[in-house]
Amino acid sequence: MTRFRMTVGWTTLLAVVALVVSLTGQPARGQAPGVVLYISGDTNIQEMFEKQLLPMYEKDTGMKTKMVFLEHGQGAAGILAKIIAAKRANTTTDVDLYETQPTFIAQGAQDSIWTKLTKDNLTNIAKVDLQRPEVLVSAGFGIPYRGSSVVLAYNTKFVKEPPKTYDQLLEWIKKNPGKFTYCDPQTCGSGAAMLYTAIYKFVKAEDYSQLAFDASKETAWEPALQLLRSLKPAIYNNGFYPNGNVAVLQLLGRENIWMAPVWSDQGVSQRDQGLIPKTIQFTQITPAFTGGDSAMAIPAHAEHQAAGLQFLNWLLTTKPQTVVVNTLAGYPGIQWKFMPKDVRDKFAGIAGNFSPLPNARYQADAKRLWQEKVAGSAQ
Amino acid sequence: MKSFGREGAAGILLVLPPLLLLALLILYPAAEAVLGTLRVERAGHVIYSLDRYRDMLQTVSLRRSVGFTLMVTVISAGATFLLAYPLALYLRFTRGWVSSALMALFIVPLFIPVVIASFAMVTFLENHGYVETLLHYVGIEGLPPLMFNAVGIVLTEVWASIPFATLVLLAGLQAIDDSLIDSARDVGAGPLRTFVSVILPLNTVATIISLSFLFIGILGSFTIPYLVGGNAPQMMSVVMTNYFTNYLRPEISVALAAISFVIAALAGAAYVMGVARRETA
Amino acid sequence: MTGGSVFWFLSVGAFRRGLAILFLVGLAVFILGPLLSLVLWAFAGQWFYPALLPQEFSLKWWTVVFGNRGVMESIKYSLMTAPTVTALSIIICLPAAYAFARFEFPGRRLLLLSFLSANSFPKIGLYISIATLFYRMNLMTTFWGVVLIQLVGTLLFMIWIPTGTFRGINRSLEEAARDVGASGLRTFLQITLPIAMPGLLVATLFAFLAAFDEAQGTLIVGSPNFITMPVMMYTLVLNYPQPVGAVFSILLTLPSLVLLLLAQRLLRQGYLAAGYAL
Repeated sequence: MTRFRMTVGWTTLLAVVALVVSLTGQPARGQAPGVVLYISGDTNIQEMFEKQLLPMYEKDTGMKTKMVFLEHGQGAAGILAKIIAAKRANTTTDVDLYETQPTFIAQGAQDSIWTKLTKDNLTNIAKVDLQRPEVLVSAGFGIPYRGSSVVLAYNTKFVKEPPKTYDQLLEWIKKNPGKFTYCDPQTCGSGAAMLYTAIYKFVKAEDYSQLAFDASKETAWEPALQLLRSLKPAIYNNGFYPNGNVAVLQLLGRENIWMAPVWSDQGVSQRDQGLIPKTIQFTQITPAFTGGDSAMAIPAHAEHQAAGLQFLNWLLTTKPQTVVVNTLAGYPGIQWKFMPKDVRDKFAGIAGNFSPLPNARYQADAKRLWQEKVAGSAQ
Repeated sequence: MKSFGREGAAGILLVLPPLLLLALLILYPAAEAVLGTLRVERAGHVIYSLDRYRDMLQTVSLRRSVGFTLMVTVISAGATFLLAYPLALYLRFTRGWVSSALMALFIVPLFIPVVIASFAMVTFLENHGYVETLLHYVGIEGLPPLMFNAVGIVLTEVWASIPFATLVLLAGLQAIDDSLIDSARDVGAGPLRTFVSVILPLNTVATIISLSFLFIGILGSFTIPYLVGGNAPQMMSVVMTNYFTNYLRPEISVALAAISFVIAALAGAAYVMGVARRETA
Repeated sequence: MTGGSVFWFLSVGAFRRGLAILFLVGLAVFILGPLLSLVLWAFAGQWFYPALLPQEFSLKWWTVVFGNRGVMESIKYSLMTAPTVTALSIIICLPAAYAFARFEFPGRRLLLLSFLSANSFPKIGLYISIATLFYRMNLMTTFWGVVLIQLVGTLLFMIWIPTGTFRGINRSLEEAARDVGASGLRTFLQITLPIAMPGLLVATLFAFLAAFDEAQGTLIVGSPNFITMPVMMYTLVLNYPQPVGAVFSILLTLPSLVLLLLAQRLLRQGYLAAGYAL
């Protein structure tokens, strides 16, 4: 009995303490931030902002920043809905800057929620190539501050000459069964790139990356899906597509596979951290894998619109752009000619071009059809 | 015949708070969502019909998913039960250090969050994972894949379900008086006969509870199949989530949830019918 | 060696004992093996196949985890929500459990059963409805929204197990107290509660674990501003190198393991089963 009473006593005490802590420990108000950024992407993007860009900005301008991070774009639709809802209710939104996929920006454009970015409110826009897919797909309201693309990673220990075209890649896969895979397109961008690039073998990318949606145009994807399906016996473990970008890198690291599509920034960073061996190299093929999945937009009714514009403008200057390129091993938002020479030389190889992504609705259907026709057993 | 007067009113009042919460967050949303799946547009009018369900069950991948889910659930529940019963029997009828060790061991998975259990299983069973490394050391190679397929799901579900099943069965066994076993022995019954004729019937309630809750729990589990399952076929919970977050088709997602719930409800009905207790005055 | 047991019907001693030990070893490998593998990964600086142990041991992943603001925040949020949810659950469910156990009212059994639905209707199917409701009540991505959704997951345990516990207490004890003039509340606090305590502690344990481990609902309601440890764990497992997930696993398991040590004895006393016997 006494033992129970002691347990009860301690448990009650702990519960009371926890309750008190929880009620007083609510997110502190503190000093209100001058600008709030909503950033989507992978964890390396989050760290780049948290550890490098935001402290740099706060030091340069003395303005307090706050970042809300959307893991892999989780809830991107929800944030868009939030911004639209604020516009309709005629209030401001706390989203001052939103980094997301260009197609989401385009969707929002229909509700006129974005600030039109011109050289009058964003001087450094002059440094950006406005013909880039990210700008075009986002209907002109999104500006890329970084670019990364999916590249082909291969282990030089086993692969002396990597394939240079998509067809050569297909041949290599068939000749080396079990040594290649890509991650499930529903869970990661690098696997999705494999899917979209297969589709682009048979159709024009631009037909699917704009806002228009016509479900009947998806029949043109059939050859691509059959092509991917035919690869199944040559894929690692007889058709196993792992869950997530990192899982594929792990397979490469443990030498289960010799080649795979990966995000350029993730691959280089994992190699630097010793998670994959130094024998892993990266190359781009023709036609290029997809990329350009990120652009920044500023809501017209943002609470701190001017601060958002100021931040974006700063982001497009050389110093932060160098950080971006160095950290992510991708390419900058501004044109290469504005970057320092040593940076240009360092990344010339992988930072080539890339193909645009299909719009969000096509992406959704592509993933579903992949699951049904490529992953699923005989139809 | 009892009258429900003041006692009835007090009873209802006291159960109202959690009931309201349940109604607000589960019952009403569920009803609304399921009603939505019954609404189909035909020739410009909105009518109620089972069309959506019929179309779904005609999609090969969805049909396969339902079948796959049932198969994995039944196998996992069965395997857990077959493992837990002998364990419970041993713990009930034996003392000693082996018994104490087992007692401490089988509870462990209860306290490991499912997401961690799944992750641990992956590192353990994947290709070139820990098991394969150990076997490689003793010269055994070429193990069939144990992870990212039905085998992986079953193993992980069994791992996570052992504590609950064993606890319930053990409790049921503990309610059986030693004297009953002794009397059976006294009339010359062997161990197997005792088990079949005395223990099994007396432990029916615990058996029903453990089997039905194993079934319901595994049927609806999401984390384990998501982290540990393969690409196709997939468990219904994973497919549901994909339809919602990836394919942007929430109506199918809800319809799948409704089907899953109906199957769970059947197991629930079995449980109720098996366990409905007579009220003691 | 085996003192005092109804052991007779596993009669062939040495062989059976050997079998039992084999079973113990097998079960230990099955249950503890994956956990051991995880612990090794948490300290692996570099570990490539086919090494039996990491080629390099290192604490660097611990610095990565502790240095990650999102991770630390998720720990804070988990420690804020789980105890709150458990406390609220106790407050609203125990009176209900007592009513279910002691009072007769129409639909009693059906209502008791209905709490099973909270755990058997897949939450993803309720996403839109719950999200819409919470948006309207301004509860999305807030602390109390997450608390509410976690609370729903604890109802089953906090009602069924205490109901079974209260039912198991002999009414005559309460009636005796009532006969000498004690009020209903006094009887409850001084007679019923102390006897029911072990069962209630088991219920609290399960409710806490349910709240602490809840991921699906929290993901729907809390993300991206309010992420708890299990939700963070999904992210870490899928997007970070293996060692990081391993480190965080150890952190996430610690509170549960502490409870395990405290609750060992409680669990074996049959309160769990009593609760599920309706």
